[in-house]
Amino acid sequence: MSAPDDPVSLDPGRKQAWRPWPAGLSLPTWPRETRDTLFLLAVIAWTVAPHLMHLPGWCAALTALVLAWRARIALTGGALPGRWPVIAVLAVALVLTLLTERTLLGKEAGVTMLVVLMALKTLELRARRDATVVFFLGFFLVLTQCLYSQSLGIALAMLVSTWGLLTALVLGNMPVGRPSLWRSSAIAARSALLGLPLMAALFLLFPRFGPLWGLPDDGVGRTGLSGTLRLGGVAELANDDSPAFRVRFAPGRPVPAEALYFRGPVLTRFDGLDWQQAALARAPTSPPAPGLATQGLAVAYELLLEPIRLPLLPLLEATPDRPGDAPVLPEWQIWQGADLQWHTERPVGERLQLSARAYPRYQLGLDASPGELDAAKRLPPGFNPRALAWAQQVHQQLGDVDARTRAAAVLGHVRQQNYVYTLAPGTYGRDAIDEFWLDRREGFCEHFATAFVAAMRAMDVPARVVTGYQGAEPPDADGWRLVRQSHAHAWAEYWQEGAGWLRADPTAAVAPERVRSSRPLTPRLGLVAGALQGMNPALAERLKRAWALADSRWTQWVMGWSRTKQFNLLQQLGIQQPDMLHLARALVLLLALVAAGAAAWAWWDRRRLDPWQRVLGRIQQALRRIGVAAAPHHAPRTLAAQVRDRHGAAGEPLAAALEALEMGRYGPHAPRHPAPPEARLWRPVLRLARQLPIMPA
Amino acid sequence: MRRITEAARAWFVNRQPRSDSQALTQRNLYILPTRGGWGFCITLLVMLVASINYQLNLGYALTFLLGSAALVSMHQTHGNLRRLTLRLRAPAPVFAGTPATLEIVLDNPSGRDRPAVGLGWHAARRHGMAFVDVPAQGSVVARLRHTPAARGRLACPAVLVETHFPLGLFRAWTVWRPATELLVYPAPEHPAPALPAGQASTHGALPNRHSTGGEFVGVRAWRRGDTSRQVLWKKVARSGGSGELVSRDMGASAARALVLDWQAAREAGRWPSGRTGLAGTQAADGQRGQPGQSDDAEARLSRLTAWVLAAERQGMAFALQLPGQQLASASGEQHGRNALQALALWRAAGATKP
Repeated sequence: MSAPDDPVSLDPGRKQAWRPWPAGLSLPTWPRETRDTLFLLAVIAWTVAPHLMHLPGWCAALTALVLAWRARIALTGGALPGRWPVIAVLAVALVLTLLTERTLLGKEAGVTMLVVLMALKTLELRARRDATVVFFLGFFLVLTQCLYSQSLGIALAMLVSTWGLLTALVLGNMPVGRPSLWRSSAIAARSALLGLPLMAALFLLFPRFGPLWGLPDDGVGRTGLSGTLRLGGVAELANDDSPAFRVRFAPGRPVPAEALYFRGPVLTRFDGLDWQQAALARAPTSPPAPGLATQGLAVAYELLLEPIRLPLLPLLEATPDRPGDAPVLPEWQIWQGADLQWHTERPVGERLQLSARAYPRYQLGLDASPGELDAAKRLPPGFNPRALAWAQQVHQQLGDVDARTRAAAVLGHVRQQNYVYTLAPGTYGRDAIDEFWLDRREGFCEHFATAFVAAMRAMDVPARVVTGYQGAEPPDADGWRLVRQSHAHAWAEYWQEGAGWLRADPTAAVAPERVRSSRPLTPRLGLVAGALQGMNPALAERLKRAWALADSRWTQWVMGWSRTKQFNLLQQLGIQQPDMLHLARALVLLLALVAAGAAAWAWWDRRRLDPWQRVLGRIQQALRRIGVAAAPHHAPRTLAAQVRDRHGAAGEPLAAALEALEMGRYGPHAPRHPAPPEARLWRPVLRLARQLPIMPA
Repeated sequence: MRRITEAARAWFVNRQPRSDSQALTQRNLYILPTRGGWGFCITLLVMLVASINYQLNLGYALTFLLGSAALVSMHQTHGNLRRLTLRLRAPAPVFAGTPATLEIVLDNPSGRDRPAVGLGWHAARRHGMAFVDVPAQGSVVARLRHTPAARGRLACPAVLVETHFPLGLFRAWTVWRPATELLVYPAPEHPAPALPAGQASTHGALPNRHSTGGEFVGVRAWRRGDTSRQVLWKKVARSGGSGELVSRDMGASAARALVLDWQAAREAGRWPSGRTGLAGTQAADGQRGQPGQSDDAEARLSRLTAWVLAAERQGMAFALQLPGQQLASASGEQHGRNALQALALWRAAGATKP
């Protein structure tokens, strides 16, 4: 078998690559393989870093350890570990995942395993070419980052990761010499930038349809709405900072944060452990929300809802189902239940934008049916006896007063006793309300709301738990106010004769800042932001505003890109009633245009052949006229022999001219770099060819 | 299945016209996704499904970014070879069984660099590819080693030129069959028996003797009994330390000329098994004890080649007599080349192929 020798490249001296640092300051000159491996490890570390916040500690530690190990191997040139140690580490990681996540399915466990696999795969990275799997895992890992957040910052971090991975991919496909990182990254960026128009078009036009199949629940205690409520099951609430929706009010009427109650499921049924919605809560009522009477001025607002995966719209209290007030969502069936909650036919799996009008002053359920009130007074026997006894005792002390006074008494109790609002109250047992109300006095909004409702019911007052979102962040430059999942809240409603259902928020009694500032956690300042804040508060404020504005535009136009906006775009393009088919057609048309463009470019590219080839083509055509069977691959030397063959002595001058042309190209004095053929060499050929008699080939 | 793919490959290569130089264009460039490219495609599909299921606009953006970059890279991979020109530098003659270095020149008339262009033999199935970067408006020489197995005027093996640049998701390649032929001399027998003694010139062609006065009439290989004064030390030194001594022919054999004869090659001794240049066939012959007809001819050619080389090294004049072909006695580089070429191209009467 033959084996190729080492190639020798006659590389003309390349200009010194541009460096952002002075020439004296440079990275240590590692061997090429070492440098490439270290670069890939750095990119992987950068990609994994944003995940560390929500990954279990062992995973972060294991990943850091494995990456450091691999870097050490790259630097010292040691041997990679064999197959078995890697499998052993993988097995350990599997067991740890099962222990911490209690499953191998689902988002959290999946991301954990992905990170571990990615780190372990680097231990099998013998040559640059083995890295393919690492790249695929890497790209997918980049994607998983937006499961947690799709903010501008995360998008920028993802962009850096993608660029780094593409650069490493380019490095792996440049086996010659020692291409600089800058050159490789420029090549990677070029590929991505050239694809940018296509990417933008795909992003704009790709039909946004709902999930292909149901997603497993994550089974993790999180702030947010779920539709049921159980005290004590969750020891600690993870603060889920992801956005639930954004709201913007018509200018002119500032709405205080403490008035922002966005209504979600109303929980009336209590079986001693779980609070659930009433049996017929989801049924449409006719007429809609019969007991609602609005008063005063309406507040117009826009709402940009994230995919919250619940079959409801968290609208501001109270948004009535009336033309002009109710939101309009084409393609969605929405209705309002008797308990004022807005339902949707299916879980919201896409971003929705709607506008509606709410009336902060309203009366609900003035003429509530006895059945409804009865259901709101039911307490299962045998649960929380001490708390109920306490309530009955208060009831007796108060005597025969109205519901409002009784509620005030309970709220006063909460305010006066030292109840503590905390997100980490620990677990509670079977009689959770007893334990919370009388013993530990630590809890979050659910504890306060359920205990309050139980106490009211024990005092013979109809009461129910309302869940939803409360509060919002301050408006950004465009007026949008962000509501996060951590704004999820539970409050209470009790029924007062002659006034209907009245809202009571016992959490506000103990932690008024939770309701007033509507900021569940003080935002942590980053290191840089903190330092900047200290040095130049004005600049810091300006930067913060600029960033907030960019982030909000990003949310509006990139993250908020939805089917509705796609249809709006099509309408602007002149399509009267756009639907998914139009989107698909536009997409196919666009792809066809791209393909046609590529074909046209290829055709044009073929036209601008090497000038030498073009001259040779002309000569061959001229020779075919005089009966020489000139094929495209024939060199002038071959053609000369054919001319002699065909025309004998008469063709001798032409043959000589052809040989002169050949010498000009390949002879010892030919220019080292290919240059266009000289006219003094090829013009005589054409002239002599014309002088010979025309013969059929 | 394997036979079918083999046949398909052979058919594919044989339908390529042979040419002195090949400009790579749309017509002769092929492109397909690599294994990594298919893997990337699956990754993109999974990412798209994840984006749909979790309604991730940022996920869509990332997926489409990577997909578009991959599509662009397809054009870039194709463009990395397009408009390059391949040509082969005229190869020097070689001996069968010894590796020859073939120099393939890649010309890049365009204004863009063409990094990571791999070259190899098509038959080697992409083993041991040599990679070069072709600078813009420049040329690069890639050297490929080829060991011809048989003597004669052989066609150059088909060359595979491919690239995966920039992302390795696509592989663009072309197969070029250079029209240049390679002159392959027979493999010299090693170790070869000593040169035959000169013989009386009976064919009328007198050996071309040096007659620079006195008794000194020529040079010949050293023989037992020659004195050290007779040895031409300068010539020995020039022969590059091969250890063969050359003596002045003192006139005793003046009338005898060195004739390298087809028959003499047969008589010089049996071929011990496995000790000739054609080791493979000879090993089998050794077991049979009697070389077959054509193998016998090849072995003779091999021995004659070794003798021609020895004679040339010693600067001796020699004549070459092959069935159907005679070379008059002469010396010098050109004569040696002619003799080797005659040996390379010799064909038995009636045979169509050497």
